[in-house]
Amino acid sequence: MATVTPASAGIDLRTLTHMVRAMFPHERFPDGPYERTAAAIVEAAGDDVRLHGQLEQGLRELDAAGGARFAELAPDAALAILRGMSGTAFFEAVRSKAILTLYDDREVWSLLGYEGPSFEHGGYLHRGFDDLDWLPEPRVEEVG
Amino acid sequence: MPAGNGKVSDAQQLGRAAQSGTRFAADDPDVVVIVGSGAGGGTLAHELCRQGIRTVVLEAGPHLTADDYHQLEWPAFNQMAWLDPRTTSGSWRVARDFPNLPAWTVKAVGGSTTHWAGACPRFKEHELRAQETYGGGIDGASLLDWPIGLDELEPYYEKAERKIGVTHRHGRPPLPANNNYKVFANGAERVGYRGYATGPYGTNAEPYDGRPASVQDGFNFQGDKSAAKWSTLVAELPKAAATGKLDLRADAHAVQITHDARGRVDGVLYVDADGALRRQRAKAVCVAGNSIESARLLLLSSSPSHPDGLANSSGQVGRNYMRHLTASVYARFPEPVRMWRGETMAGVITDESGHDPDRGFAGGFYMETLSLGPSFLAAFLDPGAWGPEFASAMDRYERTAGMWLVGEDMPQATNRVTLNTDVSDQHGLPVPNVHFDDHPNDVAMREYAWGRGRALFEAVGADDCTLTPPYPTTHNLGTCRMSSRPEDGVVDGFGRTHDVPNLFVSDGSVFTTGAAANPTLTIVALAIRQAEHIGEQVRSGAL
Repeated sequence: MATVTPASAGIDLRTLTHMVRAMFPHERFPDGPYERTAAAIVEAAGDDVRLHGQLEQGLRELDAAGGARFAELAPDAALAILRGMSGTAFFEAVRSKAILTLYDDREVWSLLGYEGPSFEHGGYLHRGFDDLDWLPEPRVEEVG
Repeated sequence: MPAGNGKVSDAQQLGRAAQSGTRFAADDPDVVVIVGSGAGGGTLAHELCRQGIRTVVLEAGPHLTADDYHQLEWPAFNQMAWLDPRTTSGSWRVARDFPNLPAWTVKAVGGSTTHWAGACPRFKEHELRAQETYGGGIDGASLLDWPIGLDELEPYYEKAERKIGVTHRHGRPPLPANNNYKVFANGAERVGYRGYATGPYGTNAEPYDGRPASVQDGFNFQGDKSAAKWSTLVAELPKAAATGKLDLRADAHAVQITHDARGRVDGVLYVDADGALRRQRAKAVCVAGNSIESARLLLLSSSPSHPDGLANSSGQVGRNYMRHLTASVYARFPEPVRMWRGETMAGVITDESGHDPDRGFAGGFYMETLSLGPSFLAAFLDPGAWGPEFASAMDRYERTAGMWLVGEDMPQATNRVTLNTDVSDQHGLPVPNVHFDDHPNDVAMREYAWGRGRALFEAVGADDCTLTPPYPTTHNLGTCRMSSRPEDGVVDGFGRTHDVPNLFVSDGSVFTTGAAANPTLTIVALAIRQAEHIGEQVRSGAL
């Protein structure tokens, strides 16, 4: 008889966090967005036994693939291991979920300079919708 | 029609006013039933109601209004998009990247006019005569000339432009240049293009027709909280409701169009919000569910006397599915652009929109400004991508400019919507399968268009560019095409099915060929024209 396993049991969150950072390496991003992304993937695995199985097994292999734990590897070595796994179901499961979460993160938006919704602030009409000044003002009317 | 600086209504009030509470009896013998409330169905509803014709609109989706809309890309997508299960096949990349999402359209009152961007070019004369113009030398293309010419469409284009309040047309002023447009237009100038402007565009630069001017709030694809953008939700349906002739039923998913012993349609079966099956009697039925669902409904409406589907004696229902060229270019610059600020698609270049076979392909394309937020851009920039190069592109989001490339794709008989009886939707109905293979002409045009887009951005100093492939289709066309001869298509020049005299198709499915232009303006023009025709038929007693 199966025992009930909590969502995160058996999943190495630290390795997963490093995997997400190695996949989408932004030097100026702190750990927070990557940690939240990894946590969201683990949470999704709570409702998805297939994802849970892929994560548990895949992260074990990831950790064993280099000369050291994945989290301890230099970026180039980590990247080489990921390239070797790209296209596998495990890799795709992490990549596809990570990309939807990481770039939907409010701290990431702020780091990228993105300001998001504007309607409640009166739009961008008085908040720089036309403030680009490194090119001449173009014509807006049609010709001929 | 009111114009200028008249009283402006609130978007929430306008959207709610689409529902007047009018109800017609299920056995009312005098009702026209429209399936779908978007550009075709919503416009047709208004134009029929104005003529005093009792109209029931069955909309599969919910009645969302301004206060409901999320200004966040994924929540808005999950709220508005048509996400019922679908399947795909064929060699197009969408079948690999998004196998259960062939199209990105809206399931809600107002249909895809609630997420259209607003670009409003007209078709060109030669695009309605593609078979004649492009000649017989295009292997594999099922080109056919439209049964109507531009001269017949022009009066309706004018009515459609006045209805929408298109900028640059009939005295409507242009929108100002936003940041993305400044990059786009300067690049256009430097590569020698002259046909650049901030429109024609279906969002107000100044108050018009009771709707406000744009506050450059962006999020065109996520509903419109201000009603500056024309949609059937805030423009056509409230006016239809005010006549007392509109019975709008949201959460009403059409299942089957029924017919009598003579083969004339007499009603529509639909599933309501509670899952109950209901029947509405109809003296005529107009199908406007967007190309995939319109074809699917005709196929679902098969019967012992019409085993291949209703109005399908030609075998053409579902065939000649088109999705436009579609591709994008995103470029990173040394300086900030902040492309997300302002109207998403208020920038059009027409220089490549003609037919010039010297470029190596038939037909033309428009270049239009485009912006996605980081959430969508990450998913669509280069589906499947990861790694340092991808991260570097995303890292320069603030310095990114974007453009969309929209052009004519070749109709092919094998590009086709069929019923997939192995997969059922939430109502137990077979889902549509969308099969698509790019035609060599589509590939040649896309490669050329990407090159021109890249050249334009490099002319204003781009560091690098990403050539983005088509994402799930927003311009779904064909599948019930117009034809002069019944054996060549599904409907005649008024959108009436060749087989069934009181059954009409009223959306982009009727397009014989796709042309280069964004389709909404033409769908609206055709709906106005069809409504006049139906009105005459009703008054003469033919319907």
